[in-house]
Amino acid sequence: MVTFTENEPFSPIKYQYAVEKILYKGKSQFQEIMVFESPDFGKVFVLDNIVQLTERDEFFYHEMLTHIAMHTHPNPRKVVVIGGGDGGTMREVLRHLSVEKAYLVEIDKKVVEVAKKYLPFVSSKLDDPRVEIHYTDGAEFIKSINNIDIVIVDSTDAIGMARTLYSEEFFNNVYKCLSPDGLYVSHTESLGFHREMAIEVQNTLKKIFPIVDLYSFPIATYPGNWWSFAIASKRFDPRIPNKEQVPGTKLYDHEVHKWVFLPKTLYLRIMNEDVQW
Amino acid sequence: MVRKFKISDLHKRIISKKTLFKVLTYIDKNPDLETPLLLIDKEKLVQNAKSLGELIPNSRVFYAVKANSDIELLKILKNMGLGFEIASRGELELLKKLEVPPEKIITSNPVKSPDFIQSLYNYGVKYFVFDSISEIEKLEKWAPGCFGYVRITVPNEGSEWPLSKKFGVELDMAFDLIKRANDLKIISPIGVTFHVGSQCLNPYNWYIAIDKAKRLFDMCKDAGIKLKILNIGGGYPISYTKIAPNIREIEEKISSYLNEKFDEDIEIFIEPGRAIVGDTGIMVSKIIGTAKRDYENWIYLDVGIFNGLMEAIGGIKYLYIFEQTTPVNNKESSFFDRYKKWTVAGPSCDSMDVIEKNVYIDADPKSEQLVLIPSAGAYTVSYASEFNGFPIPKIKIL
Repeated sequence: MVTFTENEPFSPIKYQYAVEKILYKGKSQFQEIMVFESPDFGKVFVLDNIVQLTERDEFFYHEMLTHIAMHTHPNPRKVVVIGGGDGGTMREVLRHLSVEKAYLVEIDKKVVEVAKKYLPFVSSKLDDPRVEIHYTDGAEFIKSINNIDIVIVDSTDAIGMARTLYSEEFFNNVYKCLSPDGLYVSHTESLGFHREMAIEVQNTLKKIFPIVDLYSFPIATYPGNWWSFAIASKRFDPRIPNKEQVPGTKLYDHEVHKWVFLPKTLYLRIMNEDVQW
Repeated sequence: MVRKFKISDLHKRIISKKTLFKVLTYIDKNPDLETPLLLIDKEKLVQNAKSLGELIPNSRVFYAVKANSDIELLKILKNMGLGFEIASRGELELLKKLEVPPEKIITSNPVKSPDFIQSLYNYGVKYFVFDSISEIEKLEKWAPGCFGYVRITVPNEGSEWPLSKKFGVELDMAFDLIKRANDLKIISPIGVTFHVGSQCLNPYNWYIAIDKAKRLFDMCKDAGIKLKILNIGGGYPISYTKIAPNIREIEEKISSYLNEKFDEDIEIFIEPGRAIVGDTGIMVSKIIGTAKRDYENWIYLDVGIFNGLMEAIGGIKYLYIFEQTTPVNNKESSFFDRYKKWTVAGPSCDSMDVIEKNVYIDADPKSEQLVLIPSAGAYTVSYASEFNGFPIPKIKIL
C-alpha cells in the first residue's frame, strides 16, 4: 500500500494516510502542492507536505473558521479572506446573503488553479460575481482597503510562509481596515500540541483589540485535533450571535456558536498557564 | 519578506516552535540584518534562570559570567536576583556597572592576580577559592579576613568539554591547604568546590564528586574545622544535536546524591553558565560561498571558529537550520542528492577555521542564504575574536 506521511516537524505525532492515487503533484513559486485520493478521506489537499483539507471533513474547519465571526456581526457586507485559495472558506462566507463583496487574497495562484481543477467541492463558489480574487501578499493587501466588516485569515501554519499574518504589525493593519463593528478571525493551531502559539496570538491581539477570545473545535485531520481559533472584535462580543442562522451549514448553529467557546474559567487558566500539558 | 527554512524533526526537539516563531518573525522584520547575529530568547532565559537550583534545597545560584557577558543579559539575571561567578577584573567591572552587591559575587578562579584579589576585596567580596599555597599566601596578603573554599579534582568523564588538570587538587593536598589556611587565622576555610566538566552528560560524575567532597568535610570535621558550603560548580548540559537531560532531571539526581551523602546542614552554591544561556541563543549566520573540492562539498559561513563557534574545536556539534529558496524545477531529487555530505567552514583564511566535517544536510545551500544555529547562547560571543577582520556577532535579546 502506498502511504503519505505528513511532515509537520513540530507535531509530536505523525499522521499517515493510505494513498489510492496521486492526482496532482507539482511546485509553485511558493510551495509544493499535491492532491491525492485516499480510501478513507476522499481527496486530500497538501501544501509543503502538510495536509490542508480532506474531502470528508473539510467543512469542520471551514464552517468553524467562518461562521462564528459572520454571525457575531449583524450584517457583514464586505469580507476579506486571506489565504484560502482552495475556496472552502469563501463557500461558507457566501452563504451570508448580506455579503456584497468578498475579496479572496491568495498569494499563490497555483493553489486556486489546482483547487478549481481537482477540488470542486470547495472551489465551486470562487466564480461567484461577489468574489474578487487578488493574487498577492495578504499582509500588503490589507493596507490598501478599508471599511471591511470581517477579515478571515485562512493560512498555512504560522511558522511557515504565513508568518507575517500573525505579526503585531499585521494585526494593527487589520484593525485599521475594519469598520467600527468589524471582526477578525484566524486559526491558531492545536491547543493539544501548540498551546503556547495560541496564547501568544491572544496576547498580541489584546494589545490592539478591545475584545479578544478563543474558541475551538475538534478537527480529526489536523495534528493535535483540538483546533483553536483566535477571534478579535471592535464592538460585539463574539460569544453571542447577532443574526439569524444561515441555511445550509452542517455543523454550525446558534447553540454550537455558544458551545465552541471555552468556559471563561478554563480560558483564564490556559492563558495564565495555570494548567500545562 | 518571509524567508523559508527547512525544519526537520530533530530541530523541533532542540528549539521550541514559539522560539523559532519569534526568531523568524524578527528576521522577517529586519531583512537587512547584519550577520552574524546572536538572538537571545528572553523568555527562555528567564525560564532557565528560574528553574536553576529549584530542586536543590538551600542553594544559591551564581551565573558564570564567562559563558556570555552581554550587559543586557546580565541585567536581566541581576533583576531576577541571581548571583555571579567571575574570574577577572574585567568581569568585576561589568558587575560594578550594574551595581551588583558584593554578597552576590563569588570567584572560583583558583589562580588570581593580586590586583584582581585586591579589587574584589575592596568591593567587599567575601568568598575566594584556592588550591595552592601560593594562592593562600596571596589571599592572606591582599584579602585578610576572607572566606576560602578549596577546589578538589573530580572525574570529568562523559563531559563534552572536560576541564583538564589545570585546576584542583587531590583530597590530602586539599586537606593540608585547609589546615594551613585555618592555622593562619587570616582566612576562614568555609567549604569545598569542584567542577565535573562543562556540558556533562554523565550524572555519575556528580555522585563521585559529592562523595569526595563529603570525605573532605569529614576529614576537616575530625580536625575540628567546620565547613559549611559546598560549591558544586556548573556542568549542567544543554541539547545541541543530541537531547541532553534537562535541568530538572540533573537536579533530581544531584539532590538525591546530596541527600544520601550529607546529613549535616550545608549551603549549596551552583555556578551554571551554559545551562542558563546556552539554549536561549540562536546564531543567525549567512552562507558566503560554497565549493566542491575533489569529492568534498564545502559551505563557508560568515561565523566560524574564531568569531563565535570556538567550541566546535573541542567537539561541540551544532545543528544547522538552512534557509530554503524554493526550487522551481520539478525534478525529483534522489536520496543521495538530497542528503549530501558537507564540510562547514568559517570565513577566515586559517585552515583551522573548519566548524564541522561530514555533515549530512537535507538542503541545497547557496550563497546569501541564512543559516540558523540553535543552542549558541553560551561560549560563543564571549570566545570570539576579530581575527582576519571578521566581526564578532552582535547580540539582540528578543
